[in-house]
Amino acid sequence: MDAITDVLFDYISVRTFWRVLQFVHFTMAVALLGAVTLQTVAVLMPVQQAAGNFISRVRAAPAVSYVKPIVILYAPTFLLGAWIYIKYRTYVRIPMEQFGHWWTVGTFEFKEHIVTMGIALLPAYWYFWRQPLTEEYATTRKWLVVFLAISVWYSFLVGHVANDFRGVGA
Amino acid sequence: MTQTLDVHQGVTQLGRTQATAASQPAEISKSGIFAITFGITFALMYTVLEQLNWPLFTYHPAVGKLDFWMQRPRSGEGPPMYWYGWLALSGIGSVVVGYIATLLPRAWLYRATVFCCVLAALWPALLAAGGFIADRVSFDADFLKSVWLAGSFALVGAAAISYFTSSQWVGRLWVSWLWIVPVGGLIVLGYSLKSYFLR
Repeated sequence: MDAITDVLFDYISVRTFWRVLQFVHFTMAVALLGAVTLQTVAVLMPVQQAAGNFISRVRAAPAVSYVKPIVILYAPTFLLGAWIYIKYRTYVRIPMEQFGHWWTVGTFEFKEHIVTMGIALLPAYWYFWRQPLTEEYATTRKWLVVFLAISVWYSFLVGHVANDFRGVGA
Repeated sequence: MTQTLDVHQGVTQLGRTQATAASQPAEISKSGIFAITFGITFALMYTVLEQLNWPLFTYHPAVGKLDFWMQRPRSGEGPPMYWYGWLALSGIGSVVVGYIATLLPRAWLYRATVFCCVLAALWPALLAAGGFIADRVSFDADFLKSVWLAGSFALVGAAAISYFTSSQWVGRLWVSWLWIVPVGGLIVLGYSLKSYFLR
């Protein structure tokens, strides 16, 4: 990994490199946020037929269609976040502590726990959403979706607050 | 008459089969057993390893150095990172446990899951209760703060609960551990962060 970054640093600055990584992480997180939100709506408020306004049409979308994008997006977003976390620990958290932003530090600590629980549940999530869907596990599927949605929403908001302290555009 | 009886027996047997099926979880493939066990084990191990601060390795990002197991911060080397070490150890442990789970008979697997989850909850709970009592009684009760005493009682309690609980119940509960353990783990992990919010 160091060899790759050394070559990259011949062309772009270290600062730009981390900012690009963070921007990619952010973009993937936005896409993931959209997918988990739409799936949660489809699971918690399903309707049989698409009719009427935009919300009704979103509710009618088959929840199973979001599974692959969510799995494909969650894992790399997590890995990229884990990489950027190095920079957060040295470049962001230390001044955060010096300025006494303890709530931001604490909520970010919880973010690392909640995304970890999310990645742990991802194989089971994928398994329970495989076709054909078993009626018996409908409740398990629903709560897995809700848990992932909460983890993604929480992480997105807390990550955004941390970015505002010292990140892209801050 | 014979035909009527046969039909009646058939219906009765069908009823019994349905009743038995309703009390047991639907058939789960080996990949499903692995995925579910992986999720439960990862959440449980991660919580325990984080609380005990037992990472597989410690990463020092400021100097790009990796140390085996847990290393305290050293002067001039910046802050240490344990999260990757907890993830790695939980990941390896969960893969191993998940694989073993696919080899076990279902009845054993369900009871082993109850045993491990109850043990993980009882041990710290008894330790905390022991510490609470020891600090409030008038006589010397420091032995109640012993990790091993709490562990012994937790072991006996977990064994008793997993042994005496009905097989139907442990079977039905098994998939539910998939959300009980992560949510319980997050409550414990969140509570341990309270110092950040009470400053």
